[in-house]
Amino acid sequence: MTIKEMTSIYSITAAGVDAIGQRYEEPEWLRQARRAAWETFESIPWPTYKEETWRRTRLTGFNLDDFTLAQESHPRADSRAALPADLLANLEKIDSGGALIFLDNTLIYADLDEDLAAQGVIFTDLRTALDEHAELVRAHLGALVPASENKFAALHYALWENGAFLYAPKNITVEKPFQVIVQFSDGKAHFHHTLLIGEENSELTVVEDFMGAANGMSDSVAEIYPHDAARLHYLRLQNLDHTAWNFATMRASLQRDALYRHLQASWGSRLSKVWIDLEMEQPGSHGELLGLYFPQDHQHLDHHTNQNHKRERATSDLLFKGALDDQARSVYQGIIRVWPGAQKTDAYQKNDNLILGPHARADSIPGLEIEADDVRCTHGATSAKVQEEYIFYLMARGLSRRTAKRMIVQGFFEEVLNRVPVPGVRTKLEDEIARRVGLE
Amino acid sequence: MTAVLEIKDLHVSVEGKEILKGVDLTIRQGEVHALMGPNGSGKSTMAYAIAGHPHYEVTGGDILFNGESILDLEPDERAKLGIFLAFQYPVAIPGVSFANFLRAAVSNVRGYKERAREQAAKSGDGKVIGSELMPMREFRKELMAKMDRFHVDRSFANRYLNEGFSGGEKKRGEVLQMAMLEPKIAILDESDSGLDIDALRVVADGINKLVADGMGALLITHYQRILNYVKPDKVSVFYDGRIVLTGGPEVAHMLEEKGYKWVEEDLAKELAAA
Repeated sequence: MTIKEMTSIYSITAAGVDAIGQRYEEPEWLRQARRAAWETFESIPWPTYKEETWRRTRLTGFNLDDFTLAQESHPRADSRAALPADLLANLEKIDSGGALIFLDNTLIYADLDEDLAAQGVIFTDLRTALDEHAELVRAHLGALVPASENKFAALHYALWENGAFLYAPKNITVEKPFQVIVQFSDGKAHFHHTLLIGEENSELTVVEDFMGAANGMSDSVAEIYPHDAARLHYLRLQNLDHTAWNFATMRASLQRDALYRHLQASWGSRLSKVWIDLEMEQPGSHGELLGLYFPQDHQHLDHHTNQNHKRERATSDLLFKGALDDQARSVYQGIIRVWPGAQKTDAYQKNDNLILGPHARADSIPGLEIEADDVRCTHGATSAKVQEEYIFYLMARGLSRRTAKRMIVQGFFEEVLNRVPVPGVRTKLEDEIARRVGLE
Repeated sequence: MTAVLEIKDLHVSVEGKEILKGVDLTIRQGEVHALMGPNGSGKSTMAYAIAGHPHYEVTGGDILFNGESILDLEPDERAKLGIFLAFQYPVAIPGVSFANFLRAAVSNVRGYKERAREQAAKSGDGKVIGSELMPMREFRKELMAKMDRFHVDRSFANRYLNEGFSGGEKKRGEVLQMAMLEPKIAILDESDSGLDIDALRVVADGINKLVADGMGALLITHYQRILNYVKPDKVSVFYDGRIVLTGGPEVAHMLEEKGYKWVEEDLAKELAAA
């Protein structure tokens, strides 16, 4: 086969799906799963505004044919010193117990604390995990977010090539965060998968950073498994280029007495459609979902959340805060579902928006569906402009208008920042907020 | 040099309605000038106009600081000259800690930013190397010392600016900010309102200490009560957008005795005579 033929096959088509299976010599179950996912993708119509989920977010200008797959392999860096300067700088902002850096589908760098590896912690790319821990991967991949979840999840399962895999055995507590940096090249379609598994009574923290994809698209899935009494913290920083299309489906399944904390920081992309579900699968579990977003110019960021309380005595707490500048738009749709019998549920959901730009707009649609009678569920949404009286007060104390505005915006996000469990991440978020408000 | 704030034939409108109708007033460093008047007479408008609130439109007259008009200056530029406004209703700003805010304010007013930039310009590549903020240790030390001196609880530093503060705490907070910013002239807009006697004493004590250090104060008040603790050099009576009477402390006592009704009747007589 010539390179040209190879390129044409390696595309977003049924032939491309098969080409990926061949390229990596994948087991038959996986090739079948890919084909089934492609069929599912083809059977689901493209979303239109007539669906409630898509009523406020339109895919005008999005065309899958505009993208090709990122098939190029990249050389491995043997040490941190061999990494490109910007990636290294990003990596060193956080004191981590292990790091993975992806350039498209290639794992270009990996390190893991030796003691952790000796204790049975697995932290590697999904391709390696598939070779070395096939049963673990097979049991979890696609088990939580099925291909049928939505059209983008189906496309993801047909075309994914790599991703991050983290596994902690029973009773292992890891203090330092693990860091994953995902750098996407321009103009391509990217399908990164994240699989986090914490066995009984383990504790893990993961920071995953997404960058690049100018004029491209990212269609990612994350599946998170906090088993009984496990404590998982997942901090997801979406820093994609402002010309990227971004679709992400994430779900955590919380077992008995498990704790799961999710931070979603959405900075980049021209348009984002993001689903984050907390499945309170078993009694006594506790889920937290923190979000912050700060779209500018014409950015459009849409987040869906689901706090799904299936069993009794589970608690969940959601706080999403967004500032919107220029003509930016945000959509927040959140639901708390309490199943019959999920008594003593305690669920909280709050979305606050601060409107900075004259033409910015935030839509907030919180919702409750409660089928148990002994529960406490609270939700609320606010949307406000920066008050001129605040600015005047600060200016009368000698702050410039710009500094005054920056303080007010930083103050607005403080409630979320205070709850960020990794200090290095908090600093990164503060820097990004300051950059967006405009330093003097 | 003694700083002087002069208000000359000041006319101010809010949303097209004239509130100040020709005010003349001079405040000097080291002096306390009480401005008394009934509610709705325009006292707060005067305070806001001096500080430069954009909603208060100056339609005539001038405000001079050391002989130079400040009307074209932004509120922060007025603060840098040494003008301070203690608000009647300080706003609460969630998420902004008292200490962080005050460090930024003090650094701006004392010119740390300008100095950092000058040094950057000299260094050749134009990059700002040093901090534009007052060094943290130095700031904390001064803040703690002033909290003690002005009877403000040290826990204020880490609380969010005015959020969940009682009325008394807000006013103490204003005094602490004033002490840190070291203005030449302070406008105190009803700093006594809504205070119990203990809080009133703390606020008055703060003003007295700063006046002794050389600050000039325009003490805007409805009641004579605070003048039992802060001795004014001059007392002016404000009525319907004008100063109708200026004298010594005896004017305050007269008002206390006869009430604002007296000013009204007196004024009516005067107008009738004219």
